[in-house]
Amino acid sequence: MADITIDLFETDVGKVQLRRGGTGDPLVYLHSAAGEGEGVIFLNELAEHYSVYAPIFPGFNESEGIEQIDDMEDVVFHLLDLFDRLKLDTPSIVGLSIGGWMAAELATRYPDHLSSLVLINPAGLYIEGDPIKDIFGRSPAEMAKDLFADQSHPVAQMMKQMDRAMSDAGSLKDIPFELIAPQLKSMAAAARIGWNPYLHNPKLRRRLHRIGVPTLIVRGESDTLIPASHARAYVDEIPGAEFVEVANAAHMVVLEHPAQLAAIVNKFTTTASVSSTPG
Amino acid sequence: MRFFNFHLMPYPSLPDDYEGPAWVTCPNELFDPEVGQKVYNRYLDELVYSDELGFDGVCVNEHHQNAYGLMPSPNLMAAILARQTKNVKIAVIGNALPLYNPPTRVAEEFAMIDNISGGRLIAGFVVGGGPEYYSFSINPTFAREKFAEAHDIIIKAWTEPGPQEYIGKHYKLRFLNTWPRPVQKPHPEVWIPGAGSIETMEFVAKHRYGYMGIPYFHIDVFDRTFGMFREACEREGYEYDPIQAGWLTPIYVAETDAEAREQYEKHFWYFVRRLLPGINVSPPGYTSLRSIQGILKGIGTFAINLKTWDEVMDGHYVAIGSPSTVLEMLEADLERLGTGNLLGLFQLGTLPHELTMRSLSLFAKEVMPKLRERFPAGKRMLRSSGGVA
Repeated sequence: MADITIDLFETDVGKVQLRRGGTGDPLVYLHSAAGEGEGVIFLNELAEHYSVYAPIFPGFNESEGIEQIDDMEDVVFHLLDLFDRLKLDTPSIVGLSIGGWMAAELATRYPDHLSSLVLINPAGLYIEGDPIKDIFGRSPAEMAKDLFADQSHPVAQMMKQMDRAMSDAGSLKDIPFELIAPQLKSMAAAARIGWNPYLHNPKLRRRLHRIGVPTLIVRGESDTLIPASHARAYVDEIPGAEFVEVANAAHMVVLEHPAQLAAIVNKFTTTASVSSTPG
Repeated sequence: MRFFNFHLMPYPSLPDDYEGPAWVTCPNELFDPEVGQKVYNRYLDELVYSDELGFDGVCVNEHHQNAYGLMPSPNLMAAILARQTKNVKIAVIGNALPLYNPPTRVAEEFAMIDNISGGRLIAGFVVGGGPEYYSFSINPTFAREKFAEAHDIIIKAWTEPGPQEYIGKHYKLRFLNTWPRPVQKPHPEVWIPGAGSIETMEFVAKHRYGYMGIPYFHIDVFDRTFGMFREACEREGYEYDPIQAGWLTPIYVAETDAEAREQYEKHFWYFVRRLLPGINVSPPGYTSLRSIQGILKGIGTFAINLKTWDEVMDGHYVAIGSPSTVLEMLEADLERLGTGNLLGLFQLGTLPHELTMRSLSLFAKEVMPKLRERFPAGKRMLRSSGGVA
């Protein structure tokens, strides 16, 4: 697996953390509301085939500037600015959950700014009668059930431990604040853009037809956070979109099956670029 | 010392088999209008009675979609009280500013109350409780920004000649020109309640408003909170005036200590076990990290964690007993906290009307005069060195 380094990168809204590594065509990874970055093997796997850029979005972890991001329009302009500064003309964009939503918003507005799109369990749509489950008011233990197919995954275990600590207010003060703070920051940053409308843009669906690049929708088959109807709507609306379902995976498929997922992305972008090359 | 009767107007009839939260998702089928008709009028009587008893003021507040307090519109209650009382200050603490769009509405309604009451309004501004951001689906990450802008709009509307223009980030008003204007000049006294958030204290200190400490914590937590507020005032370059601070606490007076506990305890536990669950949700981005870090230090002492009556008494969660016992407790606590306003929750949980009225009467006749003597108005009673505990 290729190495991934991290540094602070100056953007229009301040310094953001940027993970990067590998060689090859440029690929941008946009993380979920969990703010995953450190120790995400998926990035190392991708870096075997691509020049990987994984910015940590403003407000998450140590990245600055969330106070300048008010809505999805600000998100897209921040990403455009970031791409310009990194001299990325037409990267492949891979996004998980809220990161998938961001990628779709960018792709509907600036379809010429990317070469291919991979949306993994993407948020962003409202499906009547089949909404995305709540992420802003539920306990970590409940959330873990939606995020992981295998409840023995270390992150699922950690969420359950946090829950036990939080349910006893007396011991809450004994938890090192450094452990709680990143979680609080992630949720605050996600709420900034996804509180209401809840994790969607009512106008996105009717704009999806504008996405003209090869697009793959990936779904963890046991994802109970975002129902299957959402992935289906993306596939229906984006011209020529392909669909892959990953078995024994839930919402955080990136953490659950990093190698398999990287292989899926690699196979898709390789085929896509071959098929889009004039014969 | 000024004395206020603060009413939450709780819903007293949650069914015994309901174990869920009293907030946000508490099913509204549980609200029985038969009960509602009775308690609203009865609670108003209790506030009106405190006017007759010589209290300095009455307090009402705003909460939505909950059984803890049935006042989604405290301004309606204040309007009634403006007509039904003669002398008391009417403290609305407060209106949750980010929930009003445009916030001009607050400037208008408060000015109406100030006019009808002949200048007796105390204007409270609040960010709104955490549950309110779920109940109204308002983005909590903009709460402080909206609060600050709404505050500026209201003060401008009251103090600067209109029509004027206000162009902010969240509110853009081309014709800000509020009718009516308040009676009190330059504007009614402003109070802001807080639960220990540093941002709130700094805001209050900067504007020289009143800071009201939100209850249901161990007395040590209040001591720390008011110490932090005094320091915030010092950082603004002035010495804190006790009239700028209010301590809100449940109070119950009966003939004897034993009788007081006997009559009161079960009603207190209804409040703690039935009405508090759900109050403490904190939506993401609603409070800054540094404030959360501070608040977490005291969170273990939040009343919702109370198990035994000994813990209640040890932490001074309620001033309860015979008149002399309550006097002794309050003297000591007010001396320690250094606040110039005492906001008593005389009705709490399921406490019935007759007991509430008798407690109010005993307090007004046997405790209040002695506390007035002990803490005369205008006299500084603060410890000279107000360190943070």
